[in-house]
Amino acid sequence: MEKIAVLVEHRQDEVRDITFEMLGKAHQLVGEGGEVIALFLGDPSQKGLLDAITPHAHRVIAYLDTNLKNFEPLRYQAAFSQIFENVDCQLILMGQTAFGMDLAPAVAAKWEIPFTSDVVDIEASDGDLMAIRQMYSGKVNAKVSLKAGDKRLLTVRAGAFPAEDIPTVSGEVQEITGAVEGDFSARTFVEYLEAAVGDVDITQADIIVSVGRGIKDADNIPIAEELANALGGVVACSRPVADKKWLPKERQVGTSGKTVKPKVYIALGISGAFQHQAGMKNAGTIIAVNKDPKAPIFGIAHYGIVDDLFKVVPALTEKVKGIKG
Amino acid sequence: MDIIVCIKRVPETAEADLVIDGTKKAIETDDLVYSINEWDNYAVEAAIQLKEAEGGTITVISVGPEENNEVLRRALAMGADEAIRLTDPAFEGSDAYAMAKVLAAAIKDMPHDLILTGVQADDDGFGATGVALAQMLGLPYAALVTDIKKEGDTLTVHRELEGGLEEVDTLKLPALLTIQTGINEPRYVSIMGIRRVAKKEIAAKGAADLGLSENDVGLNGSMSQIEELFFPPVGEGAEIIEGTMDEKAETLVKILKERGGIA
Amino acid sequence: METMEQSLPERLDLYTCIQCGKCTGGCPVSIKSPLNIRRVVRESAVREDLHVFFSRLEIWDCTTCSTCAIRCPRGLRPVDAIIGLREMMVEEGRIEKTIIDALDGAYKYGNPWGRAKNKRAEWAQDLEIANALEMDPGQILYFVCCAASYDPRVQSVAKSLATVLRAGGVNFGILGNKEVCCGSEIRRMGEVGLFEMLMEENMKNFTKVNPQTIVTTSPHCMNALKNEYEGLGAEVLHYSQFVWRLIEEEKLSFSTEVPMKVTYHDPCYLGKQNGVFDEPRNVLKSIPGIEFTEFGRCRENSLCCEGGGGRMWMEGTNVGKRLSEIRVEDALEMGVEAIVTACPFCLLTLEDAVKTTGNEEKIKVIDLMELASMGLGVRPEVEGRR
Repeated sequence: MEKIAVLVEHRQDEVRDITFEMLGKAHQLVGEGGEVIALFLGDPSQKGLLDAITPHAHRVIAYLDTNLKNFEPLRYQAAFSQIFENVDCQLILMGQTAFGMDLAPAVAAKWEIPFTSDVVDIEASDGDLMAIRQMYSGKVNAKVSLKAGDKRLLTVRAGAFPAEDIPTVSGEVQEITGAVEGDFSARTFVEYLEAAVGDVDITQADIIVSVGRGIKDADNIPIAEELANALGGVVACSRPVADKKWLPKERQVGTSGKTVKPKVYIALGISGAFQHQAGMKNAGTIIAVNKDPKAPIFGIAHYGIVDDLFKVVPALTEKVKGIKG
Repeated sequence: MDIIVCIKRVPETAEADLVIDGTKKAIETDDLVYSINEWDNYAVEAAIQLKEAEGGTITVISVGPEENNEVLRRALAMGADEAIRLTDPAFEGSDAYAMAKVLAAAIKDMPHDLILTGVQADDDGFGATGVALAQMLGLPYAALVTDIKKEGDTLTVHRELEGGLEEVDTLKLPALLTIQTGINEPRYVSIMGIRRVAKKEIAAKGAADLGLSENDVGLNGSMSQIEELFFPPVGEGAEIIEGTMDEKAETLVKILKERGGIA
Repeated sequence: METMEQSLPERLDLYTCIQCGKCTGGCPVSIKSPLNIRRVVRESAVREDLHVFFSRLEIWDCTTCSTCAIRCPRGLRPVDAIIGLREMMVEEGRIEKTIIDALDGAYKYGNPWGRAKNKRAEWAQDLEIANALEMDPGQILYFVCCAASYDPRVQSVAKSLATVLRAGGVNFGILGNKEVCCGSEIRRMGEVGLFEMLMEENMKNFTKVNPQTIVTTSPHCMNALKNEYEGLGAEVLHYSQFVWRLIEEEKLSFSTEVPMKVTYHDPCYLGKQNGVFDEPRNVLKSIPGIEFTEFGRCRENSLCCEGGGGRMWMEGTNVGKRLSEIRVEDALEMGVEAIVTACPFCLLTLEDAVKTTGNEEKIKVIDLMELASMGLGVRPEVEGRR
């Protein structure tokens, strides 16, 4: 592959990490002499966002139109009819995100571009490509081939590729203005809503910091909350903690509480009784911190630290805060 | 309001030890328990709640062999009015795109104000069929919907974005929504309830009935094809992180970054 | 089988209730829950629309211990009014997610925890226990129970029981992965149809095995098989009854001293509901070294642990102190080292209570078969762990 286009994902005037993850992978795939193209769709007032992109793409094609301020699939599709005429590339990458999942399958169907979704790796061989994607909730990987076509489209899972150490190139920006027209009234963006504070639904959380009896006292819950806040996650608990009303019942994980499936579940001072395990064993990554090396939680955790949570958690919180600035 | 809900019958794999079969392109399914795809269950419940509020009919559609009548019957017991099964050996091997073509062929001639699908299926996890289907039917759509309000012929929906953020959109009916888990609390379907609809007729339609040729569906009609299945590398039990407290914290941060543990 | 066409009060004869209140007086959860069983019976009889109950969380507080049924001077079963109301909620699908998960698990996997079917017999992997389906008719079938099959804590009870049976020279087999949940808890959560399905599945295998006696780990399984399964020819015994019989017949005796001061907690489904009080005590007392003290509230007056009636999956209003915690505190006051019990649910709830009251160092909860196994010189794997 010589030319790969990456659709820049931005929201609320911020370029999202997935963009850099895709740019990094694109550089790796095109190799020396290839071209990484960043496709930017946005309002002219959002031009400043390009500063973060330009160093990492050989070419930035920016469609600037007041119609493109927010992500709206009908408007993006209208822009894409131009893109397909004007941009020469063999592969287009989008995120398997709320944004990409709302756009890519329609684009693929509309222009009949060979497509597959939720890719965790891309292998190039003999000018062709193979996509690696997960099936059965991540229990099996599939190597997938795509039909032949001038262009192909993949959506990439967030976090599949590193967002750091992306090659720096001198990108040239090509601006296209006033390009998007049409009747977009069938679907209209209204607003963004922040999740209400105090209205935490642990079953929908991607990151859970869960505390067990090892937390010892209600006064220690803030230690876990601080870590959860730093990570952008929520605090949950095992039954004894809910029983003692240290946390509300809605936060309890287990057979008589909630079943959760976050990307990451950090179990602090939870021994991991069977009833608790039943509520969290399907988490993507389980990290357990417990003083007792024989605690059953280590049997199902992916990573473990055998140590005092009152030492581990503050150290970890500090590091996380550090990297988030 | 005429609502169509597309539902899939999938194997439950969370508890199972999966085995890749001799072809290396599929898993062995003999010992697996099948049920309605989790997301689709929420979609059926969403349809029932809309029907309870607005009146109308609910038709559930599933693509697959006779066993799929199980999930269709369950949806009938839950509150759907009609069920249709789309079945043909030619459909086998269909990816999200080909599956959307099959569904579109069936739905285009049926009355529909609203079409619901799950966001994704638990087996192949494309998260693409619903949106591709909307495109083929020329309908406005929204993916990852966590709230639906109807007023006249306009829907106001919430979409789940990353990091606890939601997006509010309005859509004009007819439209298609892909439903995210957690949008509601799907009701329980009792064994007695399922027994009561055991005799209800479920129509079956094949490729020819839908005006589809062999080139439209299955592997021929798909955009992608599985070449090989393999297991992702996994460790046994917890990998214990050692070192000084600082090193432990450092390692944890690295793991958290890799595994999506820092939002 | 009564039909659902009969109304709940008709079916349960609730119109004949004299509202004496003996049921509420004896109800163990009435001291802490808004549940008033006398009022539930009264309201079920006079209310035209029973949907009013649907929003009352306390309907799920009942542990189905059945003290109310034992105390009723009219011979009514107030507990069945609760179960009847739950049945209505199940029929309309209006039940909590945790209950739905338990019912779905039992439907799909044959156990309310939804664990894999083919892992049911994993606990017995290295024990070389016979497959009952390959045995000659007229033998002993050990019905293991979901909790003993899957919960590592209770697996230790099943393993200990196997040790004890072997020592008694008993030829026994298990159904292995073919066993499914007895359905006792499922029925009490209100899912009659599913109970019947599970019963049919087990009955199919019971008929094939055609055992003389079925021995169960759990008093809940024992109660279901003995009193609710239709057409079962075999004798059904809780392990405490069977093991006491072995001792009486001099096929089993304990030679290892187990110096321990213990008390015994009566499981409701064994004691109150099936009158098995003496056998577990007799087994206990035949282990040398055991110093036995009775709880103040014992036998018919025993305090329920709150583990039954679906309470493993649904907490109800969950107000006030857990009865299991009261039980642990009572035991501590008596100065015993361990509470011995003979039911998986009692074992789990009491052990939880030891943890939540912070008394892990002071007292243990042990199953009777774990103690018996110690009396044979075999220490159970999970002896009072944590």
